[in-house]
Amino acid sequence: MIQLFKIAYRDLGRNRRRSFFSALALGMGLSLLLLMAGVLTGEMRGSMETTILLQSGHLQVRALSYDEDKTSLAWDDLIANPDQVTAQLASLPQVLVATPRLFATGIAAEGDESVGVRVIGIDPTSEANRPYRLGMVSGNFFAADDREGVLLGQTLAEKLNLKTGDEVYLLVNTAGGDIAEQLFTIRGIYSTRTPGFDGSSIFMPLDKAQAITQTNNHASTIFILLKEREQTASVAAALQGNDYQIETWEQTNELILQTEQMANAYIYVLYLIVLAITATVIVNTLVMAVYERTREIGIYAAMGMKGWRIMAMFFAESLLLALGGLVIGLILGGLMTLYATYVGFYIGDMGITGMLFGERIYAYLTMKDVISLSITTFIVSLLAALYPAVLAAQLEPVEALRGGK
Amino acid sequence: MRLFLTLAWRNIWRHRRRTFIVILAIGMGLALMMFYDGFVAGFEQAIYANAVKVLGGNIQVHAEGYKAQASQTPLLPMENDQSVVSAAEAQPQVLAASRRINTGGMASNREGAFPVAIIGIEPSKELPVSLVAQRVTQGRFLADDERDVIYIGQGLASAMDVTIGDRITLVGRAAHNQMRRHTMTVAGIYDVGLREIEKRSVYMSLAEAQYLYGLDGQSTEVAISLEQLGQEPIVMEALGPSLNGYEIGSWETNFPEMEAAINSKSAVMDIFSVIIMVIAGIGILNLLLMAVFERTREIGLLGALGLKPGQITTLFLLEGAMMGVVGLLFGIALGLFFNGLLMQVGLDYSKFASITEYTALICGRIYPTWGVEKLFMRSITVLIIAILAAYYPAREAARHEPAEALHFV
Repeated sequence: MIQLFKIAYRDLGRNRRRSFFSALALGMGLSLLLLMAGVLTGEMRGSMETTILLQSGHLQVRALSYDEDKTSLAWDDLIANPDQVTAQLASLPQVLVATPRLFATGIAAEGDESVGVRVIGIDPTSEANRPYRLGMVSGNFFAADDREGVLLGQTLAEKLNLKTGDEVYLLVNTAGGDIAEQLFTIRGIYSTRTPGFDGSSIFMPLDKAQAITQTNNHASTIFILLKEREQTASVAAALQGNDYQIETWEQTNELILQTEQMANAYIYVLYLIVLAITATVIVNTLVMAVYERTREIGIYAAMGMKGWRIMAMFFAESLLLALGGLVIGLILGGLMTLYATYVGFYIGDMGITGMLFGERIYAYLTMKDVISLSITTFIVSLLAALYPAVLAAQLEPVEALRGGK
Repeated sequence: MRLFLTLAWRNIWRHRRRTFIVILAIGMGLALMMFYDGFVAGFEQAIYANAVKVLGGNIQVHAEGYKAQASQTPLLPMENDQSVVSAAEAQPQVLAASRRINTGGMASNREGAFPVAIIGIEPSKELPVSLVAQRVTQGRFLADDERDVIYIGQGLASAMDVTIGDRITLVGRAAHNQMRRHTMTVAGIYDVGLREIEKRSVYMSLAEAQYLYGLDGQSTEVAISLEQLGQEPIVMEALGPSLNGYEIGSWETNFPEMEAAINSKSAVMDIFSVIIMVIAGIGILNLLLMAVFERTREIGLLGALGLKPGQITTLFLLEGAMMGVVGLLFGIALGLFFNGLLMQVGLDYSKFASITEYTALICGRIYPTWGVEKLFMRSITVLIIAILAAYYPAREAARHEPAEALHFV
């Protein structure tokens, strides 16, 4: 066995350049696969994390008849006495933070321009506002009793050419199906580095939001973050059966999960093609080696070496080549993915509002992907060796000795 | 040169199997790119074709300065919209040119509130060319100069739970920094099968929009409908000189975010394609390295016959380039075959309609094109990589000393 690998190693060494380039091709293939896997996982994971943190939470408690697509403000569709419900939820041990929020549809207008917006009434003191507080680029967060202040996302502020201290005209729908309007002062501008969110969300203290929409002491939803995402199902099950609908992050973010599935399906096709192209390089290298060494193989066979041993020799060669390729691929792919993980790619604003994507995509490579892709590449290169190995084993000793044809 | 070409061509087919494997690799790489290009083009076409069909007008003319703020639909009245209409109608390909007012707003009732695009139209002019006008399912389409009524899509009607005769509150931005609120009655409901789009627009007569939004006798857009898709560039070119001081655009200019999304994804794909081609190029490199080694005596002979090192280099470069060309042809055949198959089946994209404003225009399946949009650039890439891959072995070949090479066993 050891002898087999020794021979294989020396055979590869006979043509160092060729062996190196073949391993390089394999390595490039693998590193491309690693990068693709890392970027895709990072993109979808980033989108999911952003969405959970900014928009959906791990769990939401809503009134039974609430429909997210309509942002209805009729009292029947809202949660009455949200503070009481929130306090109950917050007392659960798995809950990190629970806070009532009110959503209204509105228009923000400034000068000749206007933009459709989502007005979000938040409890300014809640810990759930951390991402917005941390993202303040100018001005200050508002206080709970602020009756005229709002916070604008940076993307929206740029669209309307507004800055902290400016006034903005807001129209929002009300519980009665009518529309209320008022002039607000911009207390501050925040950025979550997510254009899809920052371009359309305006924050207002919950009390003021309830007053302007005539929804006294009601909230659209109770936004809940858990200590561990994995606990979602158990907490949801425990809450089920009340007079509320409980929506988990998987339910509210179904679109992201579907997109991820579709992207995964596409990426498998890409994997396959990259691997197929890589495999051709290996096949070619080994086929050439077989032809080059036809006489040598003839001698082996004439000396009584069995066909399967000749095959094993070529397999051993391919095994070493594959190992070399793996090492190159892991180093190359590791470096590329590392760059993509820490520096990321800038994608900017793609007009995506149905899902939240940050303006930069950061790769995220899981150990599972590294191992499964490495093993797949390895197996594919061994499979690629099958054809040349069979070719070698089938040579007729006498003819091969003469140089074959 | 003729001789070199013949020589190179014969040389690459001396080992059919090897050459074929290299060609396979190049072909697969190119076919993959063609699939991607075809898919993107199909995606764009589906959206633009539906935009023309549903939102109306192959070409839009706006006042200067509109494009810069297109996503906020600014109320920029045109100086002389009638002259734009008559200029457009003078073109033979133009079916209709109608004035419109576009503004942003919100529709609300007790069910909830929805951000909408408010579109003031000339009903009698739009009727013959507009799919929206023709697909009435309840009630009726608008009449010229009709007041206090709106025409909405099934998507919005179901979301707001309204039917003919129901009233909803409509807020829209008027000129001079004002918002105008008005209660309107639903006169008709249409159904074009695109719920997301239907949910985002409300139609009213131009006269009503002029009154509500303070644009007496004016309009913000002239929508031009053509006989066929694809005539846009010709008509835009013809209109250009007579419409100085206006912005003329087709739907492509109306979705800047879509352009951005496609461009950045395509940039990633371009890098990806180069890496794939380099991997395939390594196949060429190895093959030629082997060939140089195998043909040492032959190269010595060529040298002895008086071929200059440069000529030997050329021979090997030609072999590399030829493999590139054959791989290219194979790849094109493969790509066309693959895209041809997909054209029959299509890819289901309907689940993702709500992601962006532009994907809302997709109904159901997307059918790719043949994928030849960027073929020229892709081919050049393949050829360059093939020639670069051949360069190293070619230099190697030229370095042989004829006398030594001839003695090589």
